[in-house]
Amino acid sequence: MPRHKLIASESDGKDNEFSLYYVEVEENSQGGQEKQTTRDGKRRRERNGEVSRRRASEKRTTEVDTKRAEKKHEKRHKTARKEGEKHEKRQRRKNADEEEAEEESNKEKKNIKNERTKTLRRDDEKEKDVKKKRKKHVKNEEDNANSGKTKQKDCHDMPLKEKKKKRKKPETTSESESKSESDSAPESKDNQAVGVLGSLTPEELEKLKEAVDERKKLIATMRGKPWPMKKKLVVLRSSCVLQRQETLLIISFLYYSNCQKWMKFQRDFENFKTACIPWEMKIKEIESHFGSSVASYFIFLRWMYGINMILFGLTFGLVMVPEALMGKPYGSIPRKTVPREEEASAMNFAILWDFGGYAKYSVLFYGYYNSQRAIGWLKFRLPLSYFLVGVGTVAYSYMVVIRTMARNANEEGGGDDTSFNFSWKTFTSWDYLIGNPETADNKFASITTSFKEAIVEEQESRKDDNIHLTRFLRVLANFLVLCCLAGSGYLIYFVVRRSQKFALLGLENYGWWERNEVNMVMSLLGMFCPMLFDVISTLENYHPRVALQWQLGRIFALFLGNLYTFIIALMDAIQLKRAEEEIVKKNMTIWQANLYNGTVPDNSTAPPITVHPADIPRGPCWETMVGQEFVRLIISDTMTTYITLLIGDFLRAVLVRFLNNCWCWDLEYGFPSYSEFDVSGNVLGLIFNQGMIWMGAFYAPCLPALNLLRLHVSMYLQCWAVMCCNVPQERVFKASGSNNFYMAMLLVILFLSTLPAIYTIVSIPPSFDCGPFSGKTRMFDVIQETLESDFPAWFGKMFSYASNPGLVLPFLLLLVLAIYYLQSTSKTYKRVNMELKKKLQTQNEENKKKNKLAALKAANELEQARKAGEQRSSSSQHTQNSEPPVSSTHTTTRPPASRGHTSSGHLPGHPQQPQKNSHSNRR
Amino acid sequence: MVSPAIALAFLPLLLTMIIRYRYYFVLLYRAVLIRWVRDCLTGLSREERAFQYILTHATPGDAQSILDTFDHWCSKVEFISHIGPKKGKILDRLLQEHCPITVLELGTHCGYSTVRIARSLPIGARIYSVEMDERNAQVAEKIIRLAGFDEDMVELIVRPSDEVIPRLREDFGVERLDLVFMDHWKRCYLPDLQLLEGSGLLGEGSIILADNVIFPGAPNFLRHARRSGLYEVRVHRATLEYIRGIRDGMAELTFLGIK
Repeated sequence: MPRHKLIASESDGKDNEFSLYYVEVEENSQGGQEKQTTRDGKRRRERNGEVSRRRASEKRTTEVDTKRAEKKHEKRHKTARKEGEKHEKRQRRKNADEEEAEEESNKEKKNIKNERTKTLRRDDEKEKDVKKKRKKHVKNEEDNANSGKTKQKDCHDMPLKEKKKKRKKPETTSESESKSESDSAPESKDNQAVGVLGSLTPEELEKLKEAVDERKKLIATMRGKPWPMKKKLVVLRSSCVLQRQETLLIISFLYYSNCQKWMKFQRDFENFKTACIPWEMKIKEIESHFGSSVASYFIFLRWMYGINMILFGLTFGLVMVPEALMGKPYGSIPRKTVPREEEASAMNFAILWDFGGYAKYSVLFYGYYNSQRAIGWLKFRLPLSYFLVGVGTVAYSYMVVIRTMARNANEEGGGDDTSFNFSWKTFTSWDYLIGNPETADNKFASITTSFKEAIVEEQESRKDDNIHLTRFLRVLANFLVLCCLAGSGYLIYFVVRRSQKFALLGLENYGWWERNEVNMVMSLLGMFCPMLFDVISTLENYHPRVALQWQLGRIFALFLGNLYTFIIALMDAIQLKRAEEEIVKKNMTIWQANLYNGTVPDNSTAPPITVHPADIPRGPCWETMVGQEFVRLIISDTMTTYITLLIGDFLRAVLVRFLNNCWCWDLEYGFPSYSEFDVSGNVLGLIFNQGMIWMGAFYAPCLPALNLLRLHVSMYLQCWAVMCCNVPQERVFKASGSNNFYMAMLLVILFLSTLPAIYTIVSIPPSFDCGPFSGKTRMFDVIQETLESDFPAWFGKMFSYASNPGLVLPFLLLLVLAIYYLQSTSKTYKRVNMELKKKLQTQNEENKKKNKLAALKAANELEQARKAGEQRSSSSQHTQNSEPPVSSTHTTTRPPASRGHTSSGHLPGHPQQPQKNSHSNRR
Repeated sequence: MVSPAIALAFLPLLLTMIIRYRYYFVLLYRAVLIRWVRDCLTGLSREERAFQYILTHATPGDAQSILDTFDHWCSKVEFISHIGPKKGKILDRLLQEHCPITVLELGTHCGYSTVRIARSLPIGARIYSVEMDERNAQVAEKIIRLAGFDEDMVELIVRPSDEVIPRLREDFGVERLDLVFMDHWKRCYLPDLQLLEGSGLLGEGSIILADNVIFPGAPNFLRHARRSGLYEVRVHRATLEYIRGIRDGMAELTFLGIK
């Protein structure tokens, strides 16, 4: 209430008001006795009267005390309510200006006006409100409410009110907190109007502004009145002229309101910025309902989307588009034409869906590209560009992942300052500027979730179990998981071996089960093992965040088997294709010889025979095969994900929801229930998917585009699915939005997936008749070729010097040394940071203690001084004996900080000021 | 022919299921298998066996002793679905808070909950306990008498609950029920609740306590209670009696009165 009070004392800027004020102050302080003698008779008379009355009412003081507490409480509510009513009132004013004018003219007759306002209120407010209003009216009189309305009233009915106040004031403020504030209020107000303003709440400012407006309006209406000047003057004088400090206030208020406007603009701008971040709102909504762990997946997905966007931009802009625009058109050479035997079915949907037919012979795959060194009028070096883009995407990915990891490492500074975490959450969570109900709902959910998360953290920090049992269980769980992993690894190995045997014997002899055995086993293991790990991990009793990391690691290990089988199968296929290629190469020469032998006469002056490119025999082109495999894998993976989402989540949710009406047990609480969002599975799916992209992007430039599409769709689909058919986890836990663990796994996968890609590029010669590197012995020969033909000779020489092992090895050594140095320095910084943090914390605590001690000491001193003063006063002044002893107890509760106000100077113009100052100084 | 490798791939699923639903297997074993074997061996019903055990192990006239013996028998020897000690504490607390004068208990079974309620009732209070099964009612009566509660305190009614509720007023002169405790067939929760509403025996502040609303589950009952607007619903989360891992709950409905 202090602020409220401050304004209140401001409104009674009149002399008599001030005198009244002093009366009340003196009464409560024994130290002020001597000063009283210097005061004028009128005030003394008042005081004496007061005292005598007080004696009579001494008995009542105790019950008044309790009443006052209630009143104060009520007041607080009232002011809030008043706010709303004031607004309404203002509205009404604008609407009915005529009535307003009439009202103003009748201002002096308070009763009539009251009646009128009451009837007005009755018009559009409920009965209840009216009652409150009436109460408030009374209240206004006693606590000098700060609104302009009441101010006017106060001024009008001054003589009448004064009496009332004299009766009421001592009671309302005798030893309550508000007194001490009103004590220091006037001078602080006078001197530091602006400073005070800074501490004003917007509502109060609103009121002030309103008051000023009202006065202006009053003057305006008065001008139009056909009254004699004298009457006008009387009315004007009675209705408080603008005073100096008020003008000050208004100026600073204008400044403040501008500030507010600026703040609002800033806020809107922030909102706009948020709206510009893709899916930010969706992710925030999910975070507020499902906690940060689920949100971290979506943030990761978005990050992934960004990376893929750039990969797509590189491949699309530097490889696909130049080839499509400037390269030889479709059908010009064999590698760009569908072979004759496939032509019939090349447009079938099933073939296209499998990325055969026309899709295979297009820019989407490696085989379509020509080995021409430079294409088009731009002399675009397509083979070089192809190679560099392939290397560049991987290099860029490494760079981005490592950079992000490094940036995230900063955020994970150890030791968070979570003292009073719950208090902070309780008192500062709500955003009072929220204006729409949906946002409010979200905010509510997010606060609830954050509380849940904080509670989980707190529980974790307080957990002290049987450490030996926990350790044993953890070891056991890991043992079980290892067994499971080993078992599934062996199963995969066994199945792959068997399938190789089948392949050697010819797949046609075996049934569907045998042919699809590897896939079946892989997907079954991939589906069920995570469930088993999940169940086993309940043994370990980890914090859910740590448990998630373990779970991720385990499933990662399991999926590595998946990767292994895939790569093995691919390598086998490549070997087969290469063997086939050798045969084709041989046949090719025979075919060519036949072609010439059969048709061309000996004198070969005739034009060379033109064979349609579709008829020319060609090699199997293993690169395109690899690319196709990857694309198929991505497509099937995406489909599986979406279908599991639809069936596993959506259908289940629908069934649970609607079958629950006619089922014998509770489906929602009981067995099937709604599904939880599977963070670990989804994250790993995303990571492995990305690994596939990295592996295959060199042989199928369309992969980043496909992946972009997939990520885009899954963003929307999964956002929808989460909000619509999942329930939050039982233990919502906090996870940082930029999770380094995900990044670390991504890095591992990146490394693992670049290995086979680099191996194939470096060690396997490209196909002889397809792709940008056809005719070369190795794919990276394109670099050498460029160096030789496109750059000046000295550059090539320099390059060869630079690639001399004598130079490269020291350079590598230097790099290692630099890394070591940087790492050790960063470690040192981290340690220093931790120590600083600790130091800060201890200092904080010490300061707190010191402050407490100082406060205690000051209170004690005050108590003693008060006692001494009391004794002195009781011995010297007998008239003041009846002073309620309660006032002494008040001082102890009073914060010592209020002394600070007294030291400040005072404004001239109020004769009573110095006295009061000294008076309060002594207190 | 499905290859053994594919069959082996289902092993993790099997293990997961076994580990995740182990408590349900335990429940199945204790509540069904053991019961069936004992029934065949002794020729007595489960309730009669429980009574024999109590007769030999508990102190007559001491309600607490009888309840403890019951708990021991149910957790160590065989399984009977009672309210159990943990949820019983919730019941005790409710009884202490509200001091009901007239209590209706639907589903006496062996009289465990009847004894539990009766021991914390004020003097002059009365329990109407409804049990459909004749044999169970006999056992329950013996146990109630053994605990030292007479007919003034506990009125055992051997009839189906849906017949009893509409006739409570005429036959037993009940004007208002302060507490209704439901622990009979989960399917009867909703119809009986509706009967109670129709009979006008519920007054403002009457409490209806329904056990096992989550595990065997009474979703329709809960939904009605939440949607009708007649009640203030609280669900006390707990576990199933005598088996730790199965989640269960008791619904506490406070009748708000018909407006």
